[in-house]
Amino acid sequence: MGAAAGREIHDLEHERFLEEVHSFEFWFQSVEGYLAGTTYGHRTETADESPTGAVERQRLITVLSNYCIGEMAALEGASGLIAIAPNQLTKIFLSTQVADEGRHLEVLLHRMRELGVKHPAQEADRRASRSLKQFRAELLKLVQGRDWEAAIFAQNVILESLEFAVFRAHAEGADAITKEVLEGIIKDERRHIGFGENELGRRLHGAPHIRTRLTRVREELDHLVLSMLEDSSREIGVPPDQQGELARSYLQSVERLGFT
Amino acid sequence: MADTIDAYSIQNWLESCPQSYLENTEYGHAAGEKEPDFFLQNEVLLEETIKATVQLVVGERCALSASSGLINAAPDEASRRFLATQTLDEARHVEVFTQRLYDLGVRKKDLEGTIQRYANPNLVKFAEVLLEKIDRKDFISGVVGQNIVLEGMAFSVFEMMYAMNESVNPKFAHTLSGTIADERRHVGFGENRIGSLIREHPEKRGEVEQMQKEMSYFMLATFADAFRNNRTVDELEAAGIERPHSQYQGVDLGVMAPEDMEQVLADTVLKEFKTRLGRIGIEYQTPTRP
Repeated sequence: MGAAAGREIHDLEHERFLEEVHSFEFWFQSVEGYLAGTTYGHRTETADESPTGAVERQRLITVLSNYCIGEMAALEGASGLIAIAPNQLTKIFLSTQVADEGRHLEVLLHRMRELGVKHPAQEADRRASRSLKQFRAELLKLVQGRDWEAAIFAQNVILESLEFAVFRAHAEGADAITKEVLEGIIKDERRHIGFGENELGRRLHGAPHIRTRLTRVREELDHLVLSMLEDSSREIGVPPDQQGELARSYLQSVERLGFT
Repeated sequence: MADTIDAYSIQNWLESCPQSYLENTEYGHAAGEKEPDFFLQNEVLLEETIKATVQLVVGERCALSASSGLINAAPDEASRRFLATQTLDEARHVEVFTQRLYDLGVRKKDLEGTIQRYANPNLVKFAEVLLEKIDRKDFISGVVGQNIVLEGMAFSVFEMMYAMNESVNPKFAHTLSGTIADERRHVGFGENRIGSLIREHPEKRGEVEQMQKEMSYFMLATFADAFRNNRTVDELEAAGIERPHSQYQGVDLGVMAPEDMEQVLADTVLKEFKTRLGRIGIEYQTPTRP
């Protein structure tokens, strides 16, 4: 199945390329590859090596709580963006992102349940960091204000890049099930970041004044992002001398759009 | 509620759609299937087919706006996750019906113009009644309007179209069968989730019933326009093509006048509304007949 099957999508001319990568069909082919045979984001036969020590287990639950709230913010953001998306193609891409974010939330809540949390949604809300909750509120403000560029920047560049960097670092040292769950999410995030970069890259090229506004958005959100990165690094056990690497990985995404 | 909602999880969606009836499809049908030549070569039939497909795109665009808008109004995260799958379903429907317009010869640059030209004004008003509730983040009215009224209408319309196309246009019939399966899930969610909310908020009943009455009126007006101003039956007769004897709700559509088909469809949808609304504690309001 799929319109792009059997040919190299990067060979397509730009408009056709966008049509391809923003379509349900493309999404369908992409996720089929890595979600087939999984249940709640991991293979059923994957060995459960969840931390057995109380402290480590609680720490993992707190980390997952933060991820859940991040994904909830992404779900709210992406669904709200559909209403202000400039065309049908963009609306369709965002709909695939909505389903991705909903899936991420679901697999993370399920992972918390596997770790013994009875009411994961409430627990996630109780444990999530203040800066993350504040970021969620700021993102929704941008969406409700119908500021397409700023909301896409906050959602598909800043939030998604942050999650991408943290999840990748966490997956390296995580237990087998958490690792598989995170790796599935990372694959989706890559698609979302690509969309954000592409959408904003074209708009910045056509209307450079947008950059000034986005720079201001970034300045307003930066302290929250840095605070979230610091919290996450500590919780997932990134050694202090490697924490800069996590921040650099996040910064690379915004730098690709010319924000230094 | 938890068990019911689990049935509407994304995991369940993945197992029942992409890994089931959507597997090995391309834009909702098997690869290589095409629109029948006699539709493409006859100017009148082609225009009527494009016109009918435009209404599907308009309806699905409304459903996409409504389901995505409802996510941020949902009172619990399980409903949000279900609505996330519904948002994707509706986007897929927009995509497959838009692709059908392209298959029928509409050029990409003419898509919006074609939709503007043929969109039924009564269907647009039907959508506006619903989207006004969504804009106000009114979850109860929004879910009834979207998952019972809009989806209930779509379900019956698709079933009738499926019956009419099954033998003459397998490509479109296959596209419809996937959307019918989706709509069935959406209607089920509406009934399961909203019943308890209506019981918790009995003060919403009057507003919801008024909305159903208004939406039903615009739906009937859309049906009236679609059947009474349709040249398909006359053109098939003029071309000497026998209409297929499609069975729908116990009648043979192949021998019916368009006005009678309209009546069958309207009665079917309204009967379904009455049954489904009754299940969630809403009293069905008889709309004015246009």
